[in-house]
Amino acid sequence: MRKSKKLRFVLWFVLVGILIGIASVYYVFNMPRRDLSKETALFHLQASQLISDFKSDENAATTKYLDKAIAVTGEVKNIRTLDNHSMVFSLEDAMEGVSCTVDSAETVRFGAKLAGLKMGTRASFKGRCTGMLMDVQVINCVPE
Amino acid sequence: MKKILMIILVGLFGTALKAQNIYFTKDAKINFNSSTPLEDIVAETNQGTTFIDLSKNEVKFSVLTTSFKFRRALMEEHFNENYMESSKNKEFAKAKFSGTITTPVDWKSDKTVNAEVRGDFTMHGVTKQITAQAKITPGKAGIAATAEFHIVPQDYNIAIPAAVSDKIAKEVTIKVEANYAPYQH
Repeated sequence: MRKSKKLRFVLWFVLVGILIGIASVYYVFNMPRRDLSKETALFHLQASQLISDFKSDENAATTKYLDKAIAVTGEVKNIRTLDNHSMVFSLEDAMEGVSCTVDSAETVRFGAKLAGLKMGTRASFKGRCTGMLMDVQVINCVPE
Repeated sequence: MKKILMIILVGLFGTALKAQNIYFTKDAKINFNSSTPLEDIVAETNQGTTFIDLSKNEVKFSVLTTSFKFRRALMEEHFNENYMESSKNKEFAKAKFSGTITTPVDWKSDKTVNAEVRGDFTMHGVTKQITAQAKITPGKAGIAATAEFHIVPQDYNIAIPAAVSDKIAKEVTIKVEANYAPYQH
């Protein structure tokens, strides 16, 4: 009697363990994408500062900012909509500034706010920094 | 005084002439496919920066590896952390191509040309020669181009663990699509 009780306890224990295991594998496998609107920016900075950080020491800046949530502020110098309906706002400089890409879903979610951002106005975006090509790229942006 | 003016004029005219031959875009679409029957592995980005210098038939491409979007967030994490090691340094954070269009292209026509593009492809800190098959459509307002090439991850020191080697294709197909506009700076 006692033995079977013990066995039952062990079996339950194993079963719960397996279920937790399956659930966590399932969760990791279907890990949700980062939602930048829910993340706190690790750095708040001016577009000019971000550009000069990358231009003065790209390696150090890559280590510091890559894949981090950052909030960047600057004057809008170029706005374009790509054929996948995402929008790109160039801050500080149209060619060698900070490119903030807002994904198509976010352009709908923040439509009213984005419509207010015109060339020459100051704008803030929070996004994930992916590094520098000609300009410093910040993607998955949400307006701040 | 006249000499100085002349130098300034030549300088201005010279750069204007040079700029006319350069086309660029910062929104090139780049995708790669390393699917197998066991797993669909497709990734895409719209953040490719590319230039064509018509006078030299030169093409340059660069893209940040963390900008690629996969079907699953987990794949993105594995791609950047285990395979590309994107955060290691600025070289690992990018993939680059620098090459030449080896087939003659009449930039004044607007007919699509099948061209070959040959040059150096760098990723994960390794540079190798590749040849891409391209379709180039010149035009007055801009140039449209698509290209495709194949690489083997092992050539770029990217080790694929035996446990997942059946799920990742031995050869990866990379496709690019770009609509170039004249470069004015």
